[in-house]
Amino acid sequence: MIAVRASGFTPFAPRTRATVVAIVVTFALASAASAALSIWSTSKSRNRASIVEVAARQRTLAERYVEQLLLVRGGGAADPARTGELLRQSAAVLLDGGVAPAVEGDDDETAVPGERDPVIRAQLVEQQRLVGDLIRSGAAFVAGRPLTSVHLEGRERITTPNDVLRLRILAALTSNVAFDVARHIAARTDANVTSSIVLQLALGGAGIVVSILLAWALVATTRRQTAHFRSLVTSSTDLVLVLAGGRCLYTSASVEKLTGRARPDLVGRAIFEVVHEDDRAALRAAEDGGSTRLVFRMRNASGGWRSLEAHVTDLRHDRHVRGVVVNARDVTERVQLEGELTRQAQRDSFASQLVEALEMADEEAAAHDVVTRAMAEISTESPMELLLSDSSRAHLEQAAVNPAAGGPGCPVESPFSCVAVRRGSAVVFESSDALNACPKLRDRPGGACSAVCVPISFMGRSLGVLHTTGPNGAPPDAEQVGRLTTLAAQAGARIGTVRAFERTQLQAQTDALTGLINRRTLEGELRRLQRHSTPFALALADLDRFKQLNDTHGHEEGDRSLRVFSHVVRQVLRSDDLVARWGGEEFLLALPHSDAGEAVDVMNRIRAALAETVRAGHVQFTVSFGVTDSTRATTIQELIQLADVGLYLSKTHGRDRVTVADPLQAADARRNRNGNGGLGLVAAALHPPEDEAEEALS
Amino acid sequence: MLRRPSRAWAASGVLLTVVATAAAGCGGGTSSPPGRVVDVTERDFRISVSETHLRAGTVVFRAHNVGPDAHELIVVRTDGGRLRLRADGMTVDEEGLRRSIVGTLEAANAGAVRELSVRLRPGRYALFCNMSGHYMGGMEATVVVA
Repeated sequence: MIAVRASGFTPFAPRTRATVVAIVVTFALASAASAALSIWSTSKSRNRASIVEVAARQRTLAERYVEQLLLVRGGGAADPARTGELLRQSAAVLLDGGVAPAVEGDDDETAVPGERDPVIRAQLVEQQRLVGDLIRSGAAFVAGRPLTSVHLEGRERITTPNDVLRLRILAALTSNVAFDVARHIAARTDANVTSSIVLQLALGGAGIVVSILLAWALVATTRRQTAHFRSLVTSSTDLVLVLAGGRCLYTSASVEKLTGRARPDLVGRAIFEVVHEDDRAALRAAEDGGSTRLVFRMRNASGGWRSLEAHVTDLRHDRHVRGVVVNARDVTERVQLEGELTRQAQRDSFASQLVEALEMADEEAAAHDVVTRAMAEISTESPMELLLSDSSRAHLEQAAVNPAAGGPGCPVESPFSCVAVRRGSAVVFESSDALNACPKLRDRPGGACSAVCVPISFMGRSLGVLHTTGPNGAPPDAEQVGRLTTLAAQAGARIGTVRAFERTQLQAQTDALTGLINRRTLEGELRRLQRHSTPFALALADLDRFKQLNDTHGHEEGDRSLRVFSHVVRQVLRSDDLVARWGGEEFLLALPHSDAGEAVDVMNRIRAALAETVRAGHVQFTVSFGVTDSTRATTIQELIQLADVGLYLSKTHGRDRVTVADPLQAADARRNRNGNGGLGLVAAALHPPEDEAEEALS
Repeated sequence: MLRRPSRAWAASGVLLTVVATAAAGCGGGTSSPPGRVVDVTERDFRISVSETHLRAGTVVFRAHNVGPDAHELIVVRTDGGRLRLRADGMTVDEEGLRRSIVGTLEAANAGAVRELSVRLRPGRYALFCNMSGHYMGGMEATVVVA
């Protein structure tokens, strides 16, 4: 019943209630027993007291009896017989029980239970005998008979013949016995009272002992349970706070561990010192029965912030707590991960939007425009600029600036004087005042600053740098640096691609040997001129006897001749004139805003310039021209055919000359060609030997 | 070689002797008072003595009160006549007999057994109970010491 050994870890078992009940019951039983005993012994004592009275009364009665006898003998008025009867009745009642008669003027009738104690009974028997002897002697005395004649039943041996003395001796003996009886009864009552007191003390003591044991068990159980709970709370990594009235009443050991503060520095209002100021209001609101779930930040021992997810239980009405219990656990990693994921998603979104925008930029200028807009998206406060190298890759020029904040204006001139470009990775400068800061950051008009420089490259080749500045000592955060890096990478990829495409485009439009535009390009240009109804002259040129030149001097010399002619043509032509290698040793020249007559002059200038040029070289060659203009035919096809006829005529008329073909001639030529299967046969008609005709046309 | 008794053995022998002697000397004294034991029986209202003729010296009266009343026992040297009474005419004048009283046992209840050691010279001695009326009621005995 007292100390039940715990058979396992059962911190929630309601054992204490049984123990408390046992203590109360023990106390109640002990008190009831004590009270009953007290009542019983008190009533018994009262009873005893009245018996003692009756017993003691016998002394008085015996002496009064003798007095009354003497009084009667002397002639006075008295009733010794009545007193004697009282003596006799009382003696009998004391011995065997009954109602002791009242003595007039002294007391009332008293119920007497009768004596059971053998010692007192023996005394009462003795008393009864003595009373009998006394009464008989008294009767004899009153009657005037000698007392010596009275038979004495008691064991007394009275030798004196003096009647009065005999009476007095008998009365004294009776009185003495009565006194002894009263003393014995009183002593026994005392003993009863004493034993009752002892019993009550024993009961009380036993009750106290049992209660102490039970209380000890209760304390032990409570302590064990408390220890269980304490170990649960202590070993838990969860943080437990009890808040009430804007103060902290309790913190678990885990809070001390997290914050590195001792409990006295946490309870009270001090707890809010370690809570992030942005979260204090939320925590206070939770304490007033606000939300039951919240996330707040708490400063840990090393000064960093830990995110805690808290479950709030309102126990303000629980008198054991009288507060709000905040049960929190550390979710810093989760919160960081969530934040990182959100930022990643934003970055991804930014990156994908950027990629899409850049994909739509088919020219570098458009790409610059995308970069400009992306800059404003990254930051509306930080000056930002895109510095790109030109085609020579020797100079850096500002290609884009942040429309919202302008450009920082880095004075760097060449890609290789930029540290970020040299390193090939993003560089963050905390402060331009720092020893290791980029020298180009110093002495900026805006004063000291922080900066981020991200190199831009394509296929490992540097294109430039993306540069941004921020307040001194507070460089753009990792988030912005991430976006800048994304922007640099995507812009680099796109600009590089666009540049490569333009180069390829250029290569496709250009004749590799002469550097002139090719036939298709010129056709496109001609169509454009025609669309715009721009008048133009057209000239078809052909190097004379080129086959021969090739055979005699080799192909290298042939190629050189072609390049020389190209060079001369470009020298002579105006800037908006066009020249293309038409194929083999043929060239087509277009002169916008010119007619055939003007073109003839130009061609003759070319002939002259060529002649001047080749005179110095060891290979001499001439060129024949066929000229026409846009007024002479409607389609480009027809115009070229006209020019071709002109060229044919130049060849057939001795080469190194310029001939304008008109439509009539062209019609003849067409007719001849149709009849003879080609242009060559027109020549055949003019020049009988076929091989000679071939020669003439080359 | 003969082995001599050790000093320890000798010492314990001496000690044993001393203890034995002491025990013999004190034996009678501790078990009962020295002197002859005379049983005195008191009852209402008589005193009887187991021996009425005694030799002078130390006598131990072993008083048995068989009751039912409480009784005392007073031993007084007497010249043979009745003891002198007090003015009440019923109790012995103990104050007057003070020189003659050799021993007193105060009142004790029935069942008590007590011993009263007295030194008696040759002569008569009265044993009585001086409770009210007891002496006159017959509680007196006489012993003669030779």
